[in-house]
Amino acid sequence: MIGKLLQVEFMKLKRKGIWFLVFLGPFGVVSLQMVNYGVRKEWFLHQGTYNWDYYVLNVSAITPFALILGIVILTSFMASIENETNTWKQMLALPITRWSVYLSKYTTLLFLLIIASSLLAIFSLLFGIYLDFQNDIPYVDIIRYSFYPLFAALPVLGLQLWISTVIQNQGLPITVGVIGVILAYMAYFIPDWLIWKWPSLDNQWNEPLLNVYWGLAVGIGIYFVGMIDFIRRDVK
Amino acid sequence: MFTLFQAEWFKLRKTNILPILFTGPIVGILIGLFANTDMFPDEANQWTGLLLVMNLTYALLFLPLVTGILAATICRYEHQAGGWKQLLSLPVSREQVFVTKYFLLVFLILVIQLLYFLSFTSVGLVRGLTDTFPMAIVWKSIVGGWIATFPLAALQLWMSTMFKSFAASFSVNVIFTLPAILAINSAKFGPYYPWAQPFSMMYVGGDTTDVFFIPWEQLLTVVGGSFLVFFIGGYIYFKRKPI
Repeated sequence: MIGKLLQVEFMKLKRKGIWFLVFLGPFGVVSLQMVNYGVRKEWFLHQGTYNWDYYVLNVSAITPFALILGIVILTSFMASIENETNTWKQMLALPITRWSVYLSKYTTLLFLLIIASSLLAIFSLLFGIYLDFQNDIPYVDIIRYSFYPLFAALPVLGLQLWISTVIQNQGLPITVGVIGVILAYMAYFIPDWLIWKWPSLDNQWNEPLLNVYWGLAVGIGIYFVGMIDFIRRDVK
Repeated sequence: MFTLFQAEWFKLRKTNILPILFTGPIVGILIGLFANTDMFPDEANQWTGLLLVMNLTYALLFLPLVTGILAATICRYEHQAGGWKQLLSLPVSREQVFVTKYFLLVFLILVIQLLYFLSFTSVGLVRGLTDTFPMAIVWKSIVGGWIATFPLAALQLWMSTMFKSFAASFSVNVIFTLPAILAINSAKFGPYYPWAQPFSMMYVGGDTTDVFFIPWEQLLTVVGGSFLVFFIGGYIYFKRKPI
């Protein structure tokens, strides 16, 4: 049943520009570095920071921020397919359980975000090779900084999917998303317990993996809260 | 025309606009609470320092993004269940509808700016700032930021009349807003990028002798020019839009 529902979700994604956004997000993150390195290459050379490690750090400074924006946009898109055309009724009148509808939306989103993170790893590797640094390519770091933020952002994904499916007016979830983006932008100033800080992989113990564990644990928690709320609501 | 404003007002009251308007001060307070103002020398005015730090994030990201949300919100009623048809079958011209919606949007942004002003003052009071309040600088910043959103509002209104989905018009907004982070760091490109103008107009460190923080030529050509392009584009699109 889930397989069929996933097929349906992907069908609904067609011709909405969503695949373009999935490509544009990671491309945008790396192209900001293209501009950065295009303008300031001499400065990096002068500082002695023209190497892979600094490059990976530079890329990962923008990632959390782009990731949260991506989550806000994609979840709202996914929910608005039913919300703005008032077709929840039709969808839920089918002989399917509600939890599987919610799960298939979540899985689709997760799949799109994994594609985006993989593209980020590929793009940052390619541009790094083009920049021709002297030291060895840190494959593990590139993969780590492309995928850790995604796992750390799972609570945000759960929250956004929850509010955009249960609130019909998409202005509100997007507004919550914008506040999250602002918090993610100020990640280094906000306390560790705010979920919007986690994708930055920064915490007082300097251990990025902690954010990943928190993200997975709380992410699953928020997912279930959202799903149970979705199941119990009346269909408008 | 007046009755159109009235109609918009009635619709607005049922649109859940208040939570969106109040994000302005909420974001202001969040930034004000978490931001670090220790970097300024002691002789600098504390209020100006606080305004500078708060405006960094507020004007660069929040203001352009919320403009788009408001634009999509005021078009929401019409996108649902054939609202455009109903509205335009009334004895009003499409031009009037577009202009009314634009004025309403700009008015809402002004409300957000004023609420932000309130949150700025409260953050300062909570922090117990004792310096004299730099009234002229603060108002220059608040009104300047407002004027700088005029072209952005015009483009977002255009996008919101075009797309039914919030997410679609919001992604257009994001795509243009994010490069502003880079643009403000560039002396060559920054002054010409419309999405960087709210930041420049609210940036307290700018030239304080003029009426606003950016030169008149830049205000008229970049803000005025992009306003004309986006407004006329949206206006023509809306006039010909098949309903």
